[in-house]
Amino acid sequence: MGTDILSGIAEVARQHLGWEGPLTADMRLVEDLRLDSVRLLTLAAEVENRFRVRLDESDEAAIVTVGDLVETVRRKLA
Amino acid sequence: MPETVNDYLLRAGRLADGGLRLVDRAEQATWMGWGEVRERALAVAGGLRELGVGRGERVALVFPTGGEFFAGFFGALLLGAVPVPLYPPVRLGRLREYVVRTTRMLSVSGACIVLADARVRRFLGEAVAAARPRYGCRALADLPAAAPAEPVRPRPDDLALVQFSSGTTVAPKAVALSHRAVAAQTETLSGLWPDRPGLRHSCASWLPLYHDMGLIGCVFPALLRDATLTLLPPELFVARPALWLRAIGRWGATISPAPNFGYSLCLTRVADADMEGVDLSCWRAALNGAEPVAPAVLRAFAARFARWGLSPAALKPVYGLSEAALGVTFSDLEQPCHSRWYAREALAREGVARRQAPGAERESGGAAGAGVAGNAARANRAAGAVGAAGRAGSAAELGREIVSVGRPLPGFRLSIRDPHGRELPPCRVGRLWVSGPSLMEGYLGDPEGTARALRDGWLDTGDLGFLDDGELYLTGRAKDLIIVRGRNHSPAEVEQAVDALPGVRTGCSVAVSWLPEGAAGEVLALFVERSRHATADELAALPDACREAVLAATGLAVDRLLVLAPGTLPRTSSGKLQRSETLRLYLAGGLEPPAPVTALRLAQAMARSGMAYARWRFARREEGLP
Repeated sequence: MGTDILSGIAEVARQHLGWEGPLTADMRLVEDLRLDSVRLLTLAAEVENRFRVRLDESDEAAIVTVGDLVETVRRKLA
Repeated sequence: MPETVNDYLLRAGRLADGGLRLVDRAEQATWMGWGEVRERALAVAGGLRELGVGRGERVALVFPTGGEFFAGFFGALLLGAVPVPLYPPVRLGRLREYVVRTTRMLSVSGACIVLADARVRRFLGEAVAAARPRYGCRALADLPAAAPAEPVRPRPDDLALVQFSSGTTVAPKAVALSHRAVAAQTETLSGLWPDRPGLRHSCASWLPLYHDMGLIGCVFPALLRDATLTLLPPELFVARPALWLRAIGRWGATISPAPNFGYSLCLTRVADADMEGVDLSCWRAALNGAEPVAPAVLRAFAARFARWGLSPAALKPVYGLSEAALGVTFSDLEQPCHSRWYAREALAREGVARRQAPGAERESGGAAGAGVAGNAARANRAAGAVGAAGRAGSAAELGREIVSVGRPLPGFRLSIRDPHGRELPPCRVGRLWVSGPSLMEGYLGDPEGTARALRDGWLDTGDLGFLDDGELYLTGRAKDLIIVRGRNHSPAEVEQAVDALPGVRTGCSVAVSWLPEGAAGEVLALFVERSRHATADELAALPDACREAVLAATGLAVDRLLVLAPGTLPRTSSGKLQRSETLRLYLAGGLEPPAPVTALRLAQAMARSGMAYARWRFARREEGLP
C-alpha cells in the first residue's frame, strides 16, 4: 500500500507541480522538491483530492519528507 | 467627531444583506451578519477587558479566514485596543521559519496578548515563549467569561491597527495606521462604487485578512456600506483557484481584487470544466494590485475568461502600499485599462519616458487580447508570447510596454522626484512620493525608518515611475524589497540564507526581484560572490546549495542564480552592497568582474561615455532644446 501511495504522490507531483525526476521517500519537500509555499499548498490539496483524505494541521507539523507524507496518508486511509 | 471603523460596526447589520458569506472547500456558505459580528466582538472585548487589556494596547491575532478572526479583530477595536493581524502557518511548511518570523512580529508590535485559532495555537508556543506577551496566548474560548464590553469610541488620532508590510524574519516593518487614516481610505474606496437603483455592489475576496487589500480594501468598505462580503480562505484559492471565479459568479460579486499572481494562477490552474455554468458578467472591477501588473497576464486573463462573460473593461490595474493604508491610484472605472509603449533606451539610460510609435498603444484585454481563444493552454502560450511577439516587431523591438495604474484617488497627490528630492516634470522617471489622507503614522519601533519614509506630509514609496497625461506608470523599485506572489520579503533574509554556505564570500550576496517584460510574474534573482578560497567542488555545488538554503529559510524559489567573482557586485563608497544598482547592471548586461585598468579599457570607457553624450545631445535636439 505504501508504494501505491508513493506512486500516487509522484503522479500528483508530475501533474500539478511539474516534477519530472524520480520521487523517493527520503526526499524533502522543501529542500529537494523545491516547493515554495504556494506549491506546498497545491501538493496538500491535490494529495487530499486524490486519496480522499483530510490532512489537518497536527499531521502537517511532522511532514518534512515525501515518506512522512506517504505515512500520514497511509494512517488516514487505514 | 468623524466616524471610525468602530462606528461602522455599531451601525451595520440593519440591512438584510449586510454581512459575511464565508465559503468553505465544499463551496458551502456560512452567513454571519454584521449584527452577529458585533455581538461576538463585544463578548471578546468583555473578556479582554476582564483580563486587563486596556485602551491602546496591541492585540495580536492569528486566525485563518473565518468568523473567529472577526470576533477577535473587532473585539480588540471595540475595546479601544489595537489589533495586529498576523499570518497563520502555511500548510506543510517550514514551521521553524514561521516561529522565528512570528516571534519578531510579536516583539516589534509589542503585543500584550495573542489571540489564536485553537488549532494554530499549538504552533505558537515557541514564539509566545520567546516574545512573552503579558497575557499569553489564548483561543477565544479561553477568554474569561465576562459581560459584553461597552464599546469605546476612539479618537481619530488613536491607532486603529498595525499591519506588517513585509513578512520577514529580518526586518519586519510594522505599519501603524490611525483611525483617521483607515476611515479616510475606507470612505475613499467605498465612494468609487455608489449603489444605484438596480445595482447593489458587493465584493468577493480570497485575500488574506492580515493584509491591507483583504482587510481595508474588502472588509471595511463592506462594513461601511452594510453590504455583503463573500470570503474564501486564501489557501483554498491557491489549492483550487476556480472557486474564486465560481464564487464571484454564483453570488454576483461586482468587485473582486487580487494581485497579479492570482490572475496568473487562474490561467494555469483553472480548467474549462471547472467553469461550467459560471457567469462572470457581474464582475465590474477586477482590481489588480499589490505587485507589478504584467500586461501579458491582463490580456491573457481577459481573453481566457471572456467566454464566461468577463468584460475586458473589468480589469483594473491599481497601485497602493500598506504605508498608505492601501490604495493610491486607480485605473479609470469607466474605461478599459491601457498600456503604452515607451522607447526602451531612453527609459533605461536617460530616465525619459518617450512614447513610441503613436498608435502602438494597446488596450489591455481589448481587441488585441480578444482574439486569443479561451482554453488554458492557448491562453498560457499567449501570456508567454506577448513579450516575445512584441519584441519581434521592429517598432516594438526598441519599446517597452508599461501598464497604466491610473490616476490618484480623491485626496491623494503624486510627486515624482529625483534622488535629491526635487520634483521632476512629467515623463521623467523618478522616485514616487505620495501624499493623501490615509498615510501611516509610522513604523512601530523604528523612528529612523519612519523619518526616512515620511517627510513633510509626503511618503517616499521607494517605487520608481513617471507620470504621463496625469497617469502613473511604474518602472521598478528603488527600495530594497522582494515581491513574490503579492507578498513582500526583505532581500536580507534571502541573502543571509546563503551566507554560511561553503564557497560563498560571506556578506557578499544580493537578492532582487523584478517583473521582466512579457513575464507572468516577478522573478527572484540571487547574485552570490564566490569566496577566493572556494574549492572546485564547492563551486560546483554552490548553485544548488544556494537554492536549497533560500527555499528552506524563506520559502522562496530562486529563479535566476549567478555566482560571481569576488568584487563584482556594486558597492557604495562605504562598501555597502547596492541592490538596485546590481539589478540595473545585470539587466544592462554589465555585471562583470572588475578588471585591472589598462590603457585600452580606459579608451573603451571614454568611447562609451562619448556615445552616451552624443545620444543625449541628439535627444535634446529632438525635443528642440539647445
